Amino acid sequence: MARTRFEWSIWILLAALLGTGWIVVSRSPVTESRGITLTEAPIVGHLAPTFTLPTTTGESVALASYFGETAETGQPVVLNFWATWCGPCRIEMPHFQDASLRYKGKVAILGVNQGESVQTITAYAESIGITYPLLVDADNQVNLTYNVNNLPTTVFIDRQGIVREVVIGTMSKGVLEDRIERLLREQ
Amino acid sequence: MYPSINLGPFVLPTAPTVYLLGVWLALSAVERAAKWLKQDAEWSYGVAATAVFVGFIGARLSFVYIYWAAFRENLLGIVWPLNTGYNIWGGIIFGIAAAFFYGRAKQLPLAQTLDVLIPGLIIGLMAVSIADFLAGPGYGTLTNMPWGISQYGVRRHPVQLYETAVGVAALFIWWRTSQLRLFNGQLFLITLATYSAGRLFVEAYRDNAWVTANGYHIVQIISLISLLATLILLARFSLSERPKPKH
Repeated sequence: MARTRFEWSIWILLAALLGTGWIVVSRSPVTESRGITLTEAPIVGHLAPTFTLPTTTGESVALASYFGETAETGQPVVLNFWATWCGPCRIEMPHFQDASLRYKGKVAILGVNQGESVQTITAYAESIGITYPLLVDADNQVNLTYNVNNLPTTVFIDRQGIVREVVIGTMSKGVLEDRIERLLREQ
Repeated sequence: MYPSINLGPFVLPTAPTVYLLGVWLALSAVERAAKWLKQDAEWSYGVAATAVFVGFIGARLSFVYIYWAAFRENLLGIVWPLNTGYNIWGGIIFGIAAAFFYGRAKQLPLAQTLDVLIPGLIIGLMAVSIADFLAGPGYGTLTNMPWGISQYGVRRHPVQLYETAVGVAALFIWWRTSQLRLFNGQLFLITLATYSAGRLFVEAYRDNAWVTANGYHIVQIISLISLLATLILLARFSLSERPKPKH
């Protein structure tokens, strides 16, 4: 260990220089193409795993149908994994409802329920006035595919089907709209 | 990677299990450290347990405060379910404040208490890394190294395991220094400096790092500030008149 003031100064200076240098060297690129790896995975930079699920009204929704080969032809998707027993999910669902109306035709907002019955989902959705599509994942296969361990989990997917962000936990209305605006700005 | 473990008919979620195990190991480590350093084990354990308990409640109440509009008509939602809905900064502030006031009330010496608490803190941080590795959203940068792990068809740095290794190194340094220490508080500072330096290095291999607008990793910046602060304090206490450890 250093014994004199001079030796300590050298060590501290060295730590500052090496530490700052390492931070600069390991800085992440800020371009939009950062880290994109075109395999299917529920993590940022990968293609969102595709699925087809029924809604509470019996229609079939295929995730792939929202995406295009170019930025002009596709539509961003916000996947919100939730359950009626999940308090934090209930907090943010009105924000998703507001966003579904505000961004109608620009962004698809889909609620993916975790393992509950159509009756349970429908009763809750009607009680709080949810009108965006609620998908029924009765056997939890899509929840497992998206590695959803905590509710709520929200996956933001761009127009080309690439996962841009995964948010675990409740979002405020401001945060949700900020993320949606970011998706809309991306070309 | 392993969000749950199946034990017969039971499904055990790995992340909460690791967190609970981490709290238990951290509190046990504090108790053992107190005995090893000949401090009052009961009060040291009390500080750590109070910080964890109040931190947990503080994290929840902070979240409720931020989203009060959503809880106002659902007061039961404040206490159940508790699987999500925490504000980490609220938890940290409440936890530190609780530990501080507990220490003041019991008139615990600050430097010796920090020497005892730091192994528990490091074990807690290791538990966070392991939980993230098993069931969290974090992942490392791409690599061709043989120790890379395959995630969804690509090989990545096991960055959370690197973080865990840094924790092990910091605990080893704590144990080694405990046999040679020169002044009270030295164990805390050296262990924190080791952990900060390690996190500064390995955070570069995290692909989903929390970054500034310019792409700088925020954890690296915090680690560097922590490293420099601990080195400056180590220098100051080493050069000044040193209180001898009580043995």
